[in-house]
Amino acid sequence: MIKKEDLKRYANLLMFDMDEDEYDTLEKEFKTILKQMDHIAEIKDIEKVEPMTFPFLNDDATLREDEVGAYLTVGEVLDNAKEEVDDQVKVPKVVDEDV
Amino acid sequence: MYKATIGLEVHCELKTNTKNFSSAPNEFTKFPNTHVAPVDLGLPGILPIANKEAIRKALLTSLALNCITPDEVLFDRKNYYYPDLPKGYQITQNTKPVGIKGYLDILVNDEVKRVTIHDIHLEEDTASLEHRNGYSLIDYNRSGVPLIEVVTDPCIHSAEEAVTFLEDLRDLFLFLEVSEARSNYGEMRCDVNISLSDTKELGTKVEMKNINAFSSVEQAIKYEIERQTKLLEEGKEVVQETRRIATDGKTYSMRKKVDALDYKYFVEPNIPPIKIEDDYIKELKDSLPELKLSRFDRYQSLGIDKEDAKTLSKEKEISDYFDEVLSYIKDTKLAVNFMTTGILSTLNKLDISIKELFITPEMLGTILKEIESKKMSLDKGKKLLYEAIDKKKDPKELIKKTESQISDDKELLKIITSIMDENSEQVRQYIEEDNTHVVNFFIGKVMQTTKRSANPNRSMVLIKEELERRKNEK
Amino acid sequence: MYKAKSIKELRKLLDDKKVTKEELFEESTSLAKKYQEDYNSFVTILDKFKSKDSDSILDGIPYSLKDSFSTSNILTTASSNILKDYIPVYDATVYKKLKKAGATLIGKTTLDELAMGGTGTTAATGIVRNPYDKERLIGGSSAGAASSVALGITPFAIGSDTGDSVRKPASHGGIVGFKPTYGRISRYGLFAFASSLDHVGILTRNVEDAAIVTDVLKGKDENDMTTLKTDRTEYASHLEDSIKGKKLFYIKEICNLEEYPKQSTELKETLSDFKILLDKCRELGFIVEEVSIDKKLLEAIYPTYMTISCAEATSNNSNLTGIQFGPRPKADNVDDLMFKARTKGFSELIKRRFILGSYILQKENQEKLFLNAGRVRRIIVDKINKLFEEYDAMILPASGGPAPKIEGTTEEVTDDEVVLENHLAIANFGGMPSITIPFTIVNGLPVGVNITCKAKEDCKTLNIAHEIEKVTGLKDIYKEVD
Repeated sequence: MIKKEDLKRYANLLMFDMDEDEYDTLEKEFKTILKQMDHIAEIKDIEKVEPMTFPFLNDDATLREDEVGAYLTVGEVLDNAKEEVDDQVKVPKVVDEDV
Repeated sequence: MYKATIGLEVHCELKTNTKNFSSAPNEFTKFPNTHVAPVDLGLPGILPIANKEAIRKALLTSLALNCITPDEVLFDRKNYYYPDLPKGYQITQNTKPVGIKGYLDILVNDEVKRVTIHDIHLEEDTASLEHRNGYSLIDYNRSGVPLIEVVTDPCIHSAEEAVTFLEDLRDLFLFLEVSEARSNYGEMRCDVNISLSDTKELGTKVEMKNINAFSSVEQAIKYEIERQTKLLEEGKEVVQETRRIATDGKTYSMRKKVDALDYKYFVEPNIPPIKIEDDYIKELKDSLPELKLSRFDRYQSLGIDKEDAKTLSKEKEISDYFDEVLSYIKDTKLAVNFMTTGILSTLNKLDISIKELFITPEMLGTILKEIESKKMSLDKGKKLLYEAIDKKKDPKELIKKTESQISDDKELLKIITSIMDENSEQVRQYIEEDNTHVVNFFIGKVMQTTKRSANPNRSMVLIKEELERRKNEK
Repeated sequence: MYKAKSIKELRKLLDDKKVTKEELFEESTSLAKKYQEDYNSFVTILDKFKSKDSDSILDGIPYSLKDSFSTSNILTTASSNILKDYIPVYDATVYKKLKKAGATLIGKTTLDELAMGGTGTTAATGIVRNPYDKERLIGGSSAGAASSVALGITPFAIGSDTGDSVRKPASHGGIVGFKPTYGRISRYGLFAFASSLDHVGILTRNVEDAAIVTDVLKGKDENDMTTLKTDRTEYASHLEDSIKGKKLFYIKEICNLEEYPKQSTELKETLSDFKILLDKCRELGFIVEEVSIDKKLLEAIYPTYMTISCAEATSNNSNLTGIQFGPRPKADNVDDLMFKARTKGFSELIKRRFILGSYILQKENQEKLFLNAGRVRRIIVDKINKLFEEYDAMILPASGGPAPKIEGTTEEVTDDEVVLENHLAIANFGGMPSITIPFTIVNGLPVGVNITCKAKEDCKTLNIAHEIEKVTGLKDIYKEVD
C-alpha cells in the first residue's frame, strides 16, 4: 500500500509540494486507479501483447535533412527569462554542480 | 593483490550542420544563445525533429565498433530536473540503441586487447552552465547538440588500457569523420567507473564524471587504485559514491550514493519509429573506412617495421596519403623513408596538417618513380622534394627543367667561349682588375643566349674555370 | 448582426462587400466582451484588428484559438498560473496557416488548466459556464472554445482533444466538434498534454464548416514528425457523396439502458433518442447494426486513458520550472527556484495528476501500470479496427446526457466512471477521425452523437456526419443569451 510519506517524496522529486489534505485525496485516487489497473492485469494473455505507443504505424514519417533552418535571435531566447546577464539566463546558484 | 575493474562511458559530440532535434546550427561560437531554436529552449508546444545525418553518423560508429544495429530508429525520454536541461527530459535511446554488443580491439604493450561495448546510443547535449559568484548563467547554444555515448562493459583493468582505449576511440571517431573529438572543447568527455576486488566478485563501484583530458583519466584511475587498495588493505570499506578529480591529480568525494535516480524512461512519442533498411546498413558498411589497427597490421605485413607502421597508421589522412603513394611504386621502404623523414618531418617543422601540404601523393610518387628507376639518386630525390615544397612547384616541372637544361659541359663551354670572345672588355676586367662581378655578367649572357635552358650552377663553374684559364694564359 | 452565421454565409457577405473584415472582427470581439463575465470563454480578447489578405475561403473570417496554442507576441497561459505571463516567440503551425489564410484571430479561449481536465472548471481564471444553463458546465478541456461557438461569437474555434476535449464540450454545447486523424493536422505549437493522444480539434456549428477548416489546416508539417502525407482530397467537396449501403455499428454494452445501475431520466431519454436517431439513419440508407464488446475491455478505457495521459503529461510539463519563462519566485538557489515556481504555479489537481503519472513511470511500476496500459490500448484499438474491416463507422452517444451541474462536479478519480462518459478516448488511442454533432435536446439541453471511422478516413467521417446532420434538425444552432 502506498503511504503518504511516499507520495510526499514523489512530489518532491517532481519539484513541488502540496497541502496536507490534497495528499489524502491523492491517496484515495491512487487506491482507485491501482485497483482498476489490477483488473487490467487480469486480462487473459495481456503480457503477450506488445505495448502501444503510437496510435498507428506512420509510414509517412521522414527524418530531417541536416540543413540549417530558422532559429531564434538572442533577444527571443531571453525574452521570457526574468533575469539575464551577458546575454545569458541568470539563475540563483546551482547547488549540486553535478548530475 | 587487488584487481581493478573499470568501465567507461564516453560522450562524443557529432559533427553535423544542425542539432539533433532542431535545425539550429551545431557550431561552436563564443556568442551565447545565438544558436538556439524553440526546441532547444524547451518552449511549450515544441516537437523534436530527428536529424538524418546524426543518425547516419551514429549508425556508422556503431558498425565500426562491430555492434548489432536495431531494425528501426527509436528514441526514449530520460526524465530529470536540472537547470541545464530545458525540457526536463533528455531525448536519448534506451529501448533500441543504435548499437549493442560490440567491441574495439586495442593494442596495449603490443598485445591485442578486446574492449567489449555494452551499447552505443544517440542523444542530445545539455545547455552549458557558467558558475559565478552567487549565481549561475545558462547558455543554450550546446542544448540539443547530437551526442553519442559509448558504454563499455566493465572489462578494463588498468589506467593504461583505459587511456589507450580512449585514444583509439578518438582516432576511430576521426577515421570515421563523425566528430572532431576535441577534448579541450568538451567534444569528447568520459565517465569512469572503477572498483577493486581480490575475488571474482566485483567490488564497490566508485564513479567519476565528466573528465575531459585523457591524462586526467589516467591520473584519476591511478589515484583511485592507490586509494582503494590502501583502504582495502587496512580492512576498511570503499564507499559507493561519486568523486571528482581535482587539479592536484587527487580525487575528492562529491556525493555519497543515496537512491539511484530513477529516470523514468519511456519511448519518445513524438518521433515515430523509422525503419532501418538492410540496404542502408549495407551501404554504410561498404562506406566504412579501414580502421587504425587493420592498417597497422597491413603495413607490418608489407615488411614495414612496427614503429613506422604505428606512425603511418595513426592518422587517417596520413595513412590515406601513404596508401596512395604506395600505389605509384613497388619499393615500400623507399616510400616509408620519404614519408617519415620527408613528409612527416616537414609537417612538424611547418606545423601544418597533411591536407595543407603542397605536395600531393601523386607528386611524391613522381619523385619516387625517378629514384626507383634509378634515373635519380636518393639524395637528389630528397633535394627535389624539399625544393618542390619550398617553391610550391610540381616536382614534375622541376624534373623537366633539369632534364631540358644544357648540362653538357662541352656544349656549355662552346657557348661560354663564344660569349667571352664577343665580350673581351669584361674578360679584360677580370684578368687585369680582378673584377669578379663579371662572372654574373657572363651568367646573364649565357642565360640570355640559351633562353634560360643552361644549368646555372654548372655554367657558373665553367665560366669561372674559363676565366681562370684565360687569366693564366696571359 | 452577423452573429452565428456560417463560414459560407460570411464569405458571401464579405465577397459582396456587405460587410468588412474589420466589422466582423469588431462584432465578434464585442460579443466576446459582452459574454465574458457570465461565461468566461476567453483568457485574452484581442483589441486590434489584424489580418492578411488572401484568396482563401477563410479570409476575414473571425475565429478563436485555445489558449494552449503558441502565438508570438500574444499572451498564452494554458489557463495555468505557471504560464500567466508567458508571451511566446514562435507561432503554432495551425496559427501560422490560419494567418496565411487571412482568418482573423479574435482571442484566446479558456481551458482546463494545461488541458488536463474534462469539465472546464479548473482554469486559473475561473469556471467556464454552459450557455444553455449557467449552472451547468460546458465540459473541457476546450471549454472556452466550445462556449464561444455555442454563443455564436465566432463561426469556428480551434481546440485540442486528448481524450474527448473537443468532442465532449461540443456535445454539451450543441455544436460540432471534429478531431481528425492523428497527424492530419500538425501539433507543432500546441502545448503538449499527452503527446501520443493529443490532437488538434475544430469546433463549428455545422459539419461543412468543420470540413472547410480542416481542409485549410491539414497537411504534412516539417515541424511535426508525426504528421501524415498531405491528403489532396478536398473534404468539403465530398460532403454530398452517397452514403447508401454504408455500414454503421454501435456497441450494445454502451447503448443499452440495462447496462447501467443508475438510470437517470436524462440517461433514459438520451439512449431512447439515440435509438430513434439510428432508425432515421436506416431511413437515410445506412445499414446500422449492434455489436458486442467485452465489458471488461470497455471498462478498461478509463484507467488506460488516465495511466497513459498522466504519465506523458508529467514528462511533457517538466519544462515548466520558472527558469526560461513563467513567474519566478524569490529563491536562494536554483532548486529552490524550481520548487517554489512549481508549487505555486500548478493547482492541486495538476500536481496530483503529475504524481500519479510519475508513479506509473517508476521503474518498478512500469510493467504493471504504464506498459499494461499500452497493451490494453492495443487490444482495444485492434478490436475496433477489426470491426472497421466490416463497418464504415462507429456511432455512439457522445455522452450519457446533457452537461452536468457545476455544483458537485469534481475532477477526482473515482470508481463511478461509466463507459458512456469515457468511450470517446478510443479514437485518441487509435488516432481515428471522430466527430460529435448535436442530435437531440434533453431537458432543454443539447446532447451530441459521435461518429468515428478508421484512421485516415477523415473524408468519410465528415461525409457520414454531414448526412446524419440532415435529420437531426439541429444544424447551425446556437444559444441566444442576454
